[in-house]
Amino acid sequence: MRKYHFERLKDKQSGILSFVEYRKGGFKLVYGLMVAFLLICLFLSLFPLFFLAVQSFKSVEEITSLEFHFFPENLDLGKIAEVWNSVNLSIYFLNSLLIVVLSVVAAVIFNGLLAYGVSIVKPTGSKIVYLMVLGSYMIPTVLSSIPLFAMLASLKLTSGLWPYAILPLTFGANAFYFINFKNYFDKIPRELVEAMRVDGAGEFTIFFRLVVPLAAPIVGIVAIFAVSASWSDYLLPSLLLTQDSMQTIMVKLVSLQTSRPAGFTDDMMLMCLLLSILPQIVLFLVFEKQITAGGTDGAVKG
Amino acid sequence: MSKTVSTSLDRQKAVGKLKQNVRGYAVMTPGIILFSFFVWIPLLYAIVMSFSVTRAANIVGFAGFDNYAELFSLPEFSIAFKNTFIYLGWSLLLGFLLPVVMGLILSEVIHFKGLFRIGIYFPAALAGITVSILFTFLFDPSSAGFLNNILEAMGQEPILWLDDPDMAIPLIVICMTWRGAGSTALIYLAAFNQIDTAYYEAARIDGAGAWSRVVHITLPGIIPSMTVLFVLQVISVMQVFYEPLVMTNGGGADGSSLSLLLLAYNLSFGKSGGGFEMGMGAACMVTLALIIAFLSAVYFALIAFLKKRGYRV
Repeated sequence: MRKYHFERLKDKQSGILSFVEYRKGGFKLVYGLMVAFLLICLFLSLFPLFFLAVQSFKSVEEITSLEFHFFPENLDLGKIAEVWNSVNLSIYFLNSLLIVVLSVVAAVIFNGLLAYGVSIVKPTGSKIVYLMVLGSYMIPTVLSSIPLFAMLASLKLTSGLWPYAILPLTFGANAFYFINFKNYFDKIPRELVEAMRVDGAGEFTIFFRLVVPLAAPIVGIVAIFAVSASWSDYLLPSLLLTQDSMQTIMVKLVSLQTSRPAGFTDDMMLMCLLLSILPQIVLFLVFEKQITAGGTDGAVKG
Repeated sequence: MSKTVSTSLDRQKAVGKLKQNVRGYAVMTPGIILFSFFVWIPLLYAIVMSFSVTRAANIVGFAGFDNYAELFSLPEFSIAFKNTFIYLGWSLLLGFLLPVVMGLILSEVIHFKGLFRIGIYFPAALAGITVSILFTFLFDPSSAGFLNNILEAMGQEPILWLDDPDMAIPLIVICMTWRGAGSTALIYLAAFNQIDTAYYEAARIDGAGAWSRVVHITLPGIIPSMTVLFVLQVISVMQVFYEPLVMTNGGGADGSSLSLLLLAYNLSFGKSGGGFEMGMGAACMVTLALIIAFLSAVYFALIAFLKKRGYRV
């Protein structure tokens, strides 16, 4: 295991303040204040979650009692299973999981193929397609969700299993994913594509055999973003998934929050909230590098 | 002789182009269909609906500007209109400069870099819906609320929090800032890191103090990022929706935290009393889109003007 290398201020070369300033005592105080500021930010970022974790293990009497103590009186891990079973969370987690998997596939394949066409094959008119996709980049999905629902309702596509096809497919038309793919594909050497074409490979073969493996890093980033976005998706799912047994965890959470079933207390709600957040925490901690880098890429050059 | 060569070359080229088009549209068609069906057509459909008489989700006739006239005469509309700008004001006040400062300090502090970065970005990784429910508990007016729990433990009176009409919007903005500030700070961090250290060294050798380095090197270096993030923040705050939907149950009993997009949703799905007013809801969305388009146009015109004058923005 690598030992933590503790940085020394007198070695600091970069940035506004450097070792020259830190020879003077006053600047050390400034540095101390900056570290304190970050510690406060860190605390504020994580505190609501810690609070959620401890509150969800308390009994409802403990939450509402006037006698406050931070940690629950007795930490009963069995409560997780109890709450899980009492509202049948498995159903909603599995529903979410199914939609997430299909969404990721749709996000990668459809945005990827479109970006491949625009970036590499470039047929007549692909420039127009590119501009139209860019134009919809600024338009929020919320704005198109309500009219989309109206369309689907008048086309009678809101019943049965249709929502499970439609919800993932909406991730196949995402300008942000498309732009990420296109920027990456622009850097792929054309000779490789040409060589495969000369060998008689079709465009789909080239895309799946050559482009996707070459673009693995960006495919990964888009997939991670799609997992998170699809897990978090609420508006359209809430409109389409009216039948309880088909709901995703987000839809179920809001319906539990707004109309509590009998005997479903605040502490149980908090536990459900905690459980629904856990997958996202795990995803973030595992792919922290890709997630923080992916979010900052485009905006700096601006 | 040379003519026949060139025509056959032309033909070859034309055939090549045709092949390229066939191959190109073969891979692009699925994507184009999806973008049409899920993005472009719904937006057009919203505009059409806003000029139509609607019954449930169906269009049953032409309404001219009736939906707009009816919408503008609603008392909720003027409330939502005003609130949307109150959201914007609070959000810029609480959430615009904070990430700049956070990014600057992140770039200066050399200890526990990874920890600070990950910890501060972390809230952005959570779903908007779960964050909204979490903050509903934080700001719950009953004694089950997190903050009231603490207040009561300290012997203080509980506070109404989200139930107080004057506090609802600032509290919702605090929730939005909590979720968004960290990820924006990392964008600024990247911008700060792009500033060449050589500038700082040169300035230091010339005797420039820390403060004048910030003013003359750091700020000019990040102003382009700030202007872009400013307009992105304006656009996203104007569409505030999930937070009031969840935290004040659709904008509060008196509409104290009702936003334009939430009003559009409430109208479309009969959540504000009355039936499904999809036409009026669509009119509300189109109005919001026009306001946003107008503000973006002002922004781009201003940037172009300043660039012409030689400012680096």
